[in-house]
Amino acid sequence: MNSVASQFTFKNTKQDFQDAQQSLSGFQQLNLAPSLALPPISQPTDFLRAHTDDSVNPDCKIKIAHGTTTLAFRFKEGIVVAVDSRATAGNWIASQTVKKVIEINPFLLGTMAGGAADCQYWETWLGTQCRLHELREKERISVAAASKILSNLVYLYKGMGLSMGTMVCGYTKKEGPTIYYVDSDGTRLKGDLFCVGSGQTFAYGVLDASYHWDLSVDEALELGKRSILAATHRDAYSGGSINLFHVTEQGWVFHGNYDVGPLFWETKAQEGSFNNVEG
Amino acid sequence: MPGLAFDNYQRNNYLTTKGYGSPTATSTGTTIVGCKFNGGVVIAADTRATSGDIVADKNCEKLHRLAPQIWCAGAGTAADTEMVTQLIGSNLELHSLHLNRKPRVVTAMTMLKQHLYKYQGHIGAYLIVAGTDPTGAHLFSIHAHGSTDVGQYQSLGSGSLAAMAVLESEWNEKLTKEEAMKLCSDAIEAGIWNDLGSGSNVDLCVMEVGQDAVLYRNYLTPNVREAKTRSYKFGRGTTAVLRESIYSLVEVQEEIVSFKSAAEAIEVDA
Amino acid sequence: MSDPNSINGGSAVAMVGKDCVAIACDLRLGNQSLGLANNFEKVFQLGHTFLGLTGLASDVTTLSETFRLKTNLYKMREERTIEPETFANLVSSTLYEKRFGPYFVGPIVAGINSQTKKPFICGFDLIGCIDFAKDFIVSGTASDQLYGMCEALYEPNLEPEDLFETISQALLNAVDRDALSGWGAVVYIVTKDQVVRKVLRTRQD
Repeated sequence: MNSVASQFTFKNTKQDFQDAQQSLSGFQQLNLAPSLALPPISQPTDFLRAHTDDSVNPDCKIKIAHGTTTLAFRFKEGIVVAVDSRATAGNWIASQTVKKVIEINPFLLGTMAGGAADCQYWETWLGTQCRLHELREKERISVAAASKILSNLVYLYKGMGLSMGTMVCGYTKKEGPTIYYVDSDGTRLKGDLFCVGSGQTFAYGVLDASYHWDLSVDEALELGKRSILAATHRDAYSGGSINLFHVTEQGWVFHGNYDVGPLFWETKAQEGSFNNVEG
Repeated sequence: MPGLAFDNYQRNNYLTTKGYGSPTATSTGTTIVGCKFNGGVVIAADTRATSGDIVADKNCEKLHRLAPQIWCAGAGTAADTEMVTQLIGSNLELHSLHLNRKPRVVTAMTMLKQHLYKYQGHIGAYLIVAGTDPTGAHLFSIHAHGSTDVGQYQSLGSGSLAAMAVLESEWNEKLTKEEAMKLCSDAIEAGIWNDLGSGSNVDLCVMEVGQDAVLYRNYLTPNVREAKTRSYKFGRGTTAVLRESIYSLVEVQEEIVSFKSAAEAIEVDA
Repeated sequence: MSDPNSINGGSAVAMVGKDCVAIACDLRLGNQSLGLANNFEKVFQLGHTFLGLTGLASDVTTLSETFRLKTNLYKMREERTIEPETFANLVSSTLYEKRFGPYFVGPIVAGINSQTKKPFICGFDLIGCIDFAKDFIVSGTASDQLYGMCEALYEPNLEPEDLFETISQALLNAVDRDALSGWGAVVYIVTKDQVVRKVLRTRQD
């Protein structure tokens, strides 16, 4: 893990930080962006990694919340976004009621995987950038542009310890329903279907089996919910409840919060599935 | 095979190289003290056992019997103090049976230090040995590596500094039994209040020359838990049950065997 | 991750009631984040004594078999099943034998002495230090949470039916805050001549 990360990591000094911030503030649309205060040490990135990255140092005292299952897919009627709601710090379940879908604005949703604070902060920041775009250009920002603002931002901070895996989902006239996957490595991908997080493989398993373009809205919502349910079952770091969203041309619609506790048993009884579980 | 086995050692070492650290054993944390008085010796201990920052046992026993008149207070790795004490206690009994004499405190101390030295500190037992024998009252401390110390008063464990502060300021050569008991329990209390690794109650043991030792289990209980003012009892049927099975524990199996068939069965040279 | 005790996950708890004891465990067996099995029981019955074993799953299995062997040999020699107090000392010396290459387990013992009819529970660290408790004993990856639940919920002299609710709620609510425990639970309520075993309905995430 670290050997992979180090390939993309610069030895960042305080000067690099200041340079990065300079280029940030040089970005004229970023004038309102708050700046991050630097700790008074020579190598902030190494310091951060030493104390927060439990894949490098298992005994690190600060455990950043990780572990999640999120998914989003495009279909005939728009986009379905489904996420779990568990936050863990090590093996400790810190919360079962986390909002992992961030409502950037009425037409854009961002999902949250990786560092909760990183996602929350930068995606709300993205919201302000999108609003500024609207005021300047007198039209709504495209999903492509919005996701690129985010990916450019995280790229500036590359190797400095940001941790996010997010899907920017939106619907615009010219693009139609669109999903961009953006992560803190700087990857930005357009696609029909993504699952992100520690439970992604389990979600892909269910989603791929039944996904097709012509799904009805109800079918699509059900499939999204069912895929997350499968992931919460097998993945220790996913669980709590499921939040469902549908993105249409009129903006996103919230389709409810489902507690995995009762939902599991209902699903099992209805489908006759989960035969590995007694009851 | 008697003795310790090392067959998991390689596996665990391998696990360590793979990044899996070893789990923490229960530690006594501990304040233990001992002090001599005119005609005997007193030892005392707190009763907290910790594993990491968790209080594993709120009322454990750190005073161990080596012989009827020789007792020992233990600090360090809890399992080690218990086991080394049991082993030497047993050997001491055999030893005194062999010689047909009461065991001496120096003998106990020597057996302990030789055992601990052999293990080069890997057996994490820090002990205060005290007792009476035909040569009088004695008080020793032993460290895990096998070094020993003789003194009029001793303290060991994470709370030893707090306890020693009390002993240094209060101890004198002319203590009576009651004064020595008070001094030891005061020293332990200093550990209980001022050392985070020590807590709960005070155990105390008095050994007077020519008499059997007297153990005062929970001599002081300054940390009694407040009774709950409200009950958290759940109504019966709160917990959802998938499946239930009931079976009897008394296993009586009765089989009637007639003499005739039994006799036939035994017939071997038919 | 850094601790062999939390590779597979799992928790157990025992409590004393009025002329009864209870011992319970979860059913999860995992490989880090991946749940592998939901039928991995961590409580074993050895005569009228019950043993709970949490920690590294391979050591849980190895030790449960070792103790099955040892208690069977004991039964043949003594023509009676082992008493809980005796068994506790057997566990202690078996673990201490491996002082410098320990099994990565956190055993707990519960039972009622068949002669004195006294309830008995105790717990151990991985090298066999016995923790005699009058109230409750916890063990496993959710042990911190279990300590909290038990300190709050436990009260002395509960009837078997009430002890069942208390131990079940303590276990359930503790494992619901631990990523590596859960996936089902089993509770044993032991009185002097009968055992009631209940499989609980739990969250499955």
